[in-house]
Amino acid sequence: MVLLHGLGCSARTWRHLVHELDDELDCVALDLPGHGEESGSDALTVAQMVETVLEQVAELLRVRRPRAWVLAGHSMGGKVATLVAAAAEAGRPGLTPPAALVLVASSPLGVEPMEESKRAQMIGWRADGELSEQDAAEFVDANTADALPADDRAEAVADVRRVSRTAWLAWLERGSLEDWSGTGPVRTSTLVVAGGADGDLGADAQRRLVLPAVAATEVVEVPGAAHLGMLEQPAALAELVRDHLHWTLPPPDLPPGLAALLASDRVSARTRRVLLRRLAPPRPHEQVLSDAQRATLVAVVARVLPQRATDVDLADRIEADLAAGVGDGWRFADLPDDVAAWRAGLDTLAGRPGGFAELDDDAQDAVLADVVAGQVGSANAGHLSTEQMTLWFEDVRAAVVRTWVSHPAAMARIGYDGFANGGDGARKQGYLRVGAGEREPWQTLPLEVLA
Amino acid sequence: MRLDEMRTHATSEVVDAVVIGTGAGGAPILARLAAAGLSVVALEAGSNSEPGDHTADELEAADIYWMDDRLSAGEMPEVFGSNNSGRGVGGAMLHWGAFCPRPDARDLALRSTTGAGVDWPLAHAELVPYLAEVERFLSVSGPATYPWDDTRSYALPPVARNAPAQAMARGCEAVGLTATDAPVGLVTRDVHQEHWGLRQACVNCGSCHQGCRNGSKASMDATYLPLAVAWGAEIRPDSMVTGMERDEHGRITAVVYRRDGVEHRQRCRAVFLCGGGVETPRLLLNLGLANSSGQVGRNYMAHVATQVWGRFEDEMRMNRGYPSSLITEDLLRPDGADFAGGYLVQSLGVQPVTLATSLARGGELWGDRLVDLLEDYTHLAGIGINGECLPHESNRLVLTDEVDAHGLRRARVDFGRGDNEDAIDAHAEATMREVWEAAGARDVFTIPRSAHTLGTCRMGPDADSAVVDADCRAFDVDNLWICDSSVFPSSLAANPALTIMALALRTADRFLAGTPRP
Repeated sequence: MVLLHGLGCSARTWRHLVHELDDELDCVALDLPGHGEESGSDALTVAQMVETVLEQVAELLRVRRPRAWVLAGHSMGGKVATLVAAAAEAGRPGLTPPAALVLVASSPLGVEPMEESKRAQMIGWRADGELSEQDAAEFVDANTADALPADDRAEAVADVRRVSRTAWLAWLERGSLEDWSGTGPVRTSTLVVAGGADGDLGADAQRRLVLPAVAATEVVEVPGAAHLGMLEQPAALAELVRDHLHWTLPPPDLPPGLAALLASDRVSARTRRVLLRRLAPPRPHEQVLSDAQRATLVAVVARVLPQRATDVDLADRIEADLAAGVGDGWRFADLPDDVAAWRAGLDTLAGRPGGFAELDDDAQDAVLADVVAGQVGSANAGHLSTEQMTLWFEDVRAAVVRTWVSHPAAMARIGYDGFANGGDGARKQGYLRVGAGEREPWQTLPLEVLA
Repeated sequence: MRLDEMRTHATSEVVDAVVIGTGAGGAPILARLAAAGLSVVALEAGSNSEPGDHTADELEAADIYWMDDRLSAGEMPEVFGSNNSGRGVGGAMLHWGAFCPRPDARDLALRSTTGAGVDWPLAHAELVPYLAEVERFLSVSGPATYPWDDTRSYALPPVARNAPAQAMARGCEAVGLTATDAPVGLVTRDVHQEHWGLRQACVNCGSCHQGCRNGSKASMDATYLPLAVAWGAEIRPDSMVTGMERDEHGRITAVVYRRDGVEHRQRCRAVFLCGGGVETPRLLLNLGLANSSGQVGRNYMAHVATQVWGRFEDEMRMNRGYPSSLITEDLLRPDGADFAGGYLVQSLGVQPVTLATSLARGGELWGDRLVDLLEDYTHLAGIGINGECLPHESNRLVLTDEVDAHGLRRARVDFGRGDNEDAIDAHAEATMREVWEAAGARDVFTIPRSAHTLGTCRMGPDADSAVVDADCRAFDVDNLWICDSSVFPSSLAANPALTIMALALRTADRFLAGTPRP
């Protein structure tokens, strides 16, 4: 989990939350340019901060090879985080998109709502260069519901004073005013958190300005917190994060070795985008099959391609393709259009004496062998004849293998790394060794263990 | 490819020629006519792209395949889609396999030498200079000496032998067959292609069929089309031809096409129809054009393309490297054969979705047997043929009552094998099994398959039996020329692309020479 703090904060602002989540997540809180240990940095515009974070995340992924990563952003860091997620989704080399995005009292992608008098006051604090301890303390106190414990408050005040003057002004005079709402919405599943006692960036602003830009349907309010929820209510915030990740972290069928290869510059942005999209469950689609037909399909798919080390939801993907009208450029002249053929084929199987889904594996195999041999069919309306069933079952086999083999988890399983045969550089990598029994060092698929 | 600075023509301008399709037939014609100073416009149904736009992902690469539904029937229904015709500036050559054998002289005279099939109405010797010209222009790579033709030489060294090629070399040697590095339409050294730029040496990525990403492969968008544009040709992508207007003498006066949902008509003096073995006859049948012979759509041929597969002890990782880097022509006329014609054999590296689909369809595999093979992907390798297919009465393309988005009726193709194809298939399977077992393959199995779409607008000696004459000019329509795989009178054992390109140059030359109709 990579964490990006807000204006006037630093990596250590997250430390209580990190402590809460440490057992489950490898947390890396970054100092944004101009803040914390990076106060000397001059990469202070929004675009520069995003670029800086993208490079740092790519390096982290390269070195630590997590099976998935999560991005969190607070306030100013929330705007940066959202843009980083968008860049990762767009196929940025070296990155996979985050599995989830956590936004705490986030600044919106558009212009941040802030009263001009408040903006003027905060700019005024740095008119003479240094920020006084008194002004810094006023800033911290104004952002908390109740006074922080003394140690936390002292550290928070010190962090505000550590921010370089240029960074402080860059955000107030430019970054917070830049309208990036044309980017997005991001598809990464997002947890949007608001402090119950926050002001300009409270729940209402989150609903109006942040939700439209992310993949979330609601804003979760944390009682007893204003703008610095990670310091004010770290346990409650950790619980929300845990709960969100429970539902959104990918199933462990993207092993670290595959994630790193997908992220590498051996893969083109287009190919990476395609494979990442394919890793996600199919988009919500029209239900073209009845519940009974779906049950038969699930049973047929399991017999056509008994998965051993992967768990790809083949039946759902096939139905999604049918609903979307994804064809393969031809069809048997003796079959009706795809959706009608699949409905009729499944109904024919289910309608035979003894049904299909109810049978045990061996009996199902025997029925399918009979289909191939032209011995299963029906003259009933809405059913397929024996000849049609043989043809339809050929289509079924092709759809099932195509759906499985094209899934990155299956590629990892069978040891196929051809998707990584060239990135977007002026020279494509290709393969240096093509002979039998030869492998290049980067060729680590198939992976021994698929979690 | 770059189209931003090309010369453009008004649709009201009467251009010298409209070329329909930008693949192996259309692209060389376009270049030849433009270089001769003619005003030419190419209409391409697909979109324009740069090599770097392609993706190695087999499903995503569907954007360079012709994916409009076709209906398949017969004893051995054709698998279209990713097989055969393509879409995009460059046509099917965007995803061609780049396998570049020349047609054998005996194959053009099949009837006179075997009594089966038909002869080509032109001599092999007439094609040879054109074949050589195409090879030179595309910088075809190949062996220093070609065992079956000592007059031939290739400009660039052969591609690297990948694992299946190594196995085939081993197996062929063991059973006494001569095999060598295949002639391949890609560059094995960096080559500057005039009017296009640097074609980088092949990096063995193995994704030829998904579109070459560094210009190594001789796709038309990296070779003939930039040449054509440099000479003033215009290419209009995303332009689907739906009609032709004719005058009272039957000559075509304009080509009607749809682009971005708007109908246009380009006035012209001549038309070159180069849409491939399916789309060309489909358009003619839809328009009721050039079919007084009744031969449009008939004589549909698809090469016997049987594959033999096996598992090897070594890791093969056959997706690496140029897929078909070894060839033998020893079986073009095997001793004691009980069939007309013959076949070429090539080594096979196949990407996983293509392989899995073949196993599931032609191989009739499913369940544990299928999963066993797929999970052994890195140890599999194949060997396959391209063999003669005779024309048969029952193999033909007709129109259905279903229409596509443009209102054109969809094609239905009936295909099945006759005795000659069965005999070639049996001979080839036995030969390949022997080679593969000698190479060390275990668990050897066969997948029946066919490839290419040929013959549906046959070239021939007279208007009763053929659609076009030996110059590829339509008998029925004075200013219509057809040049693609549809004009092949016989299938030839060689993969068709090189022959189509050579024929295209010849067609353009005959047109330019104004040769009177015989």
